[in-house]
Amino acid sequence: MTIKLTRRAALQGMLAGTAVLTTMRAFPAWAQAPGGTLIVGLTYEIDTMNPYSTGFLGDAQAAVIEGLIAPDKDAVYVPVLATEVPSLENGGIVVSDDGKTMQITYKLREGVKWHDGEPFTSADVKYTWEAVKDPAFIAESKDGSSEVESIDIPDDYTVIVNYNTITPTFAATLFTFGIMPKHLLEGTDLNTSSYNETPVGTGPFKVKEFVRGQYVETVRNDDYWRTAENGDKLPYLDSIIFKMIPDTNTLITQLKSGEVTMVVSTPYSQASQVQGIEGIEIVQGPQLSWQHLDFNFKRPSLADLNVRKAIAMAIDREVIIRAQGGFPKAIKSPVVPVFDFYDDSTPVLAYDVAAANALLDESGYVAGSDGIREKDGERLSYAFMVQSGRADDELAQQVIIAQLKAIGIEATANNQTGVAYREARYKGGYDLIYGRWITSANPVYHDFWGTGGANNGQSYSNPELDAAMAEFENTLDPAERKVAASKFQAILAEDLPTISLVNNVALIAKTTKLKNFVPNPTNMTNFVDTSAWYME
Amino acid sequence: MSFGYVLRRLLSAIPLLLGISVILFAIIHLAPGGPLDMYTENPAVSKEALAQISAAYGLDQPVPIQYLLWLKSMVVGDWGYSIRTGRPVLTEIVLRLGPTLELGGLALIISLIIAIPLGIISASRRGSKLDSSLTLASFAGISIPVFWLALLLQLLFSVQLGWLPSAGYKSIGGGDFLDRLRHIVMPAAVLSLATVASWSRFIRSGMIDVLNQDYIRTAYAKGRSERGVVILHALRNAMIPAVTVIAVDFATVISGAVITETVFAWPGIGRLFMESMDGRDYPMLMGLMMMGSLGIIIANIIADLAYASLDPRIRYG
Repeated sequence: MTIKLTRRAALQGMLAGTAVLTTMRAFPAWAQAPGGTLIVGLTYEIDTMNPYSTGFLGDAQAAVIEGLIAPDKDAVYVPVLATEVPSLENGGIVVSDDGKTMQITYKLREGVKWHDGEPFTSADVKYTWEAVKDPAFIAESKDGSSEVESIDIPDDYTVIVNYNTITPTFAATLFTFGIMPKHLLEGTDLNTSSYNETPVGTGPFKVKEFVRGQYVETVRNDDYWRTAENGDKLPYLDSIIFKMIPDTNTLITQLKSGEVTMVVSTPYSQASQVQGIEGIEIVQGPQLSWQHLDFNFKRPSLADLNVRKAIAMAIDREVIIRAQGGFPKAIKSPVVPVFDFYDDSTPVLAYDVAAANALLDESGYVAGSDGIREKDGERLSYAFMVQSGRADDELAQQVIIAQLKAIGIEATANNQTGVAYREARYKGGYDLIYGRWITSANPVYHDFWGTGGANNGQSYSNPELDAAMAEFENTLDPAERKVAASKFQAILAEDLPTISLVNNVALIAKTTKLKNFVPNPTNMTNFVDTSAWYME
Repeated sequence: MSFGYVLRRLLSAIPLLLGISVILFAIIHLAPGGPLDMYTENPAVSKEALAQISAAYGLDQPVPIQYLLWLKSMVVGDWGYSIRTGRPVLTEIVLRLGPTLELGGLALIISLIIAIPLGIISASRRGSKLDSSLTLASFAGISIPVFWLALLLQLLFSVQLGWLPSAGYKSIGGGDFLDRLRHIVMPAAVLSLATVASWSRFIRSGMIDVLNQDYIRTAYAKGRSERGVVILHALRNAMIPAVTVIAVDFATVISGAVITETVFAWPGIGRLFMESMDGRDYPMLMGLMMMGSLGIIIANIIADLAYASLDPRIRYG
């Protein structure tokens, strides 16, 4: 028997290994005594505790407010307030006979109580939809509310959601962000409600105090519904405190002095300093964001596949990674490896300067007196844009400029800030662009490279790719989705409208005393399931 | 000095504030980016949601119309709503004004207590070794970057010695006088360093000017002690140029100390300004800057009144 050790298999092996370790550690009962306070340092100021209207990913919110389902450490949805994740197999999703609409049924967990002691029921779920949909409620995250036609609640623990379309991405939206308590909020103005400061949720921790610009203190919910496998009441921790410290130097100082015991977004540049702090360790967590180099197809030379191939072969990802402290991971597909529909057999062009030069020679791009190639009067000289002010991106840009020079291609930095950058990105005001994209845990990709996609500023259009992506985004069956995903990943890798370079990594600094912590790569943050964390 | 004078000065401030508001509004909107930019990398935010928020805050209107709408509500005392937090601008400002006034006020009191004696000593020992070392120390004080000094103090007092909290306004759940005092010591010290340095320079040069005047020589000739001459005859006159600087510094206190507040995670106006700037929170920024402008205008009126009381030759009618 031959064992083919792919990277994915190796990854799974590692995960299994971690699982064994965690289980072994979980057995001695003395290790998991309740108690302890975790102090988290955040570099942004929490604007509101309402997960639907916050402009940030809700770290503190996730510890307090729960949704029906949530993405786990592998970005796979697992049940929370629902008893199972609806799917075609378990009958939770039913597609209408004409195939145009769908009906999703959630069975709710019984015996769950709000922080004020009232029971959680299907009426709360229906209210949440009505509240989010209401045009008077000013909120960012309304995605998924307009696709719902109506909601039926035959009993306290059944919710039937009737959709007016087919949306495989339903899990990433509405009921996942959190359920709001009807008995407290119905008839109130959500824009000014005290819910925005001290929300009542069903989560393992409840908000004790929100002091603007300073901290949010959450304390244990003694009536929490989850229990540990060994029967322990959860959560273990007494309290989680989220401190707002805008300056990263101060944040690191607070780690050193013990005033903060966890930082979820350590900058790459400060990682080595943090690693030297006694009692603090860095956990690397996967992220759903990745760095990419994209082409503008309005330039005739960039519309030439051979030039794109040569550029792909001229870029050494390892150098880009080293320039960023060695933390990001090389990738070959925009589908980051966390996702189960990532296809590890996606082809990638290896770093090979000689081959790149040979390809350009064959294709008739002749070097001029200054070493820059040209063909039919077009010099291979490109305006290269990144978002100015992003140190990591500007560094990578310099690396890429140097690497392209080696194959006779000139790239000149033409960086933009803010709206100017965004406009240029959407409208194609660049030849080359290096930047960052992020998706939700239930991603769609046609926005980036689909014909006329909202984020497609490249003027790229490939009907074959459109078809594969449409298949992926409109299919509910996981196996069929995986096939479609492999198809579009292969097309992207072969036609190269984009070169996927590196997958970003989250560096989470935490006290070594904190156990059972598992990083979460999704937009539901690391705090989406805090109940089993404990202090040694 | 009369009530009429103050009233006239205040009335003349109205067109000034109007002019300032037009310029500020224009500058804010000229800066690249907008309040909704912070959401563009969040995959959960749809275009429809952005359009709805845009309409709710009137951001879909042309800029001149937005200005007129802002002005209209400002006239009746409505400062608008923060786009970032959705709460009234005035509520947010009042919330942050307290910590800022505490920090800035304490720093100014420390500065006055230290700067005046330093300036006097330097001037009366002009050219001595003491004067030279104070001069050197002042320039060092003006030149040391706040964030660097703050970091050093934090490392020494919080990490090495463990005496003081490295940042924040109060402990979690705490907040009694002693707790807040422990939190304010380092930021106040950092904030006063630069003011001590610059004020003591102004007082020194003012003193030197005055000490060369004829009436000082006369005072000495009458047999006054040096101490008496300096305190009774010279100091009052020497303060006139310093008053301008001190008054304006007092006024800038209400705009908050951006860097100090950020480094020490102090929940004041300066940090609110930074957060609002990052988020391009237009109503919040306008509110903060108008308040700052008003503060400076009032401080200037007070400074003018102070001249009159310090110098009998100055009279406003």
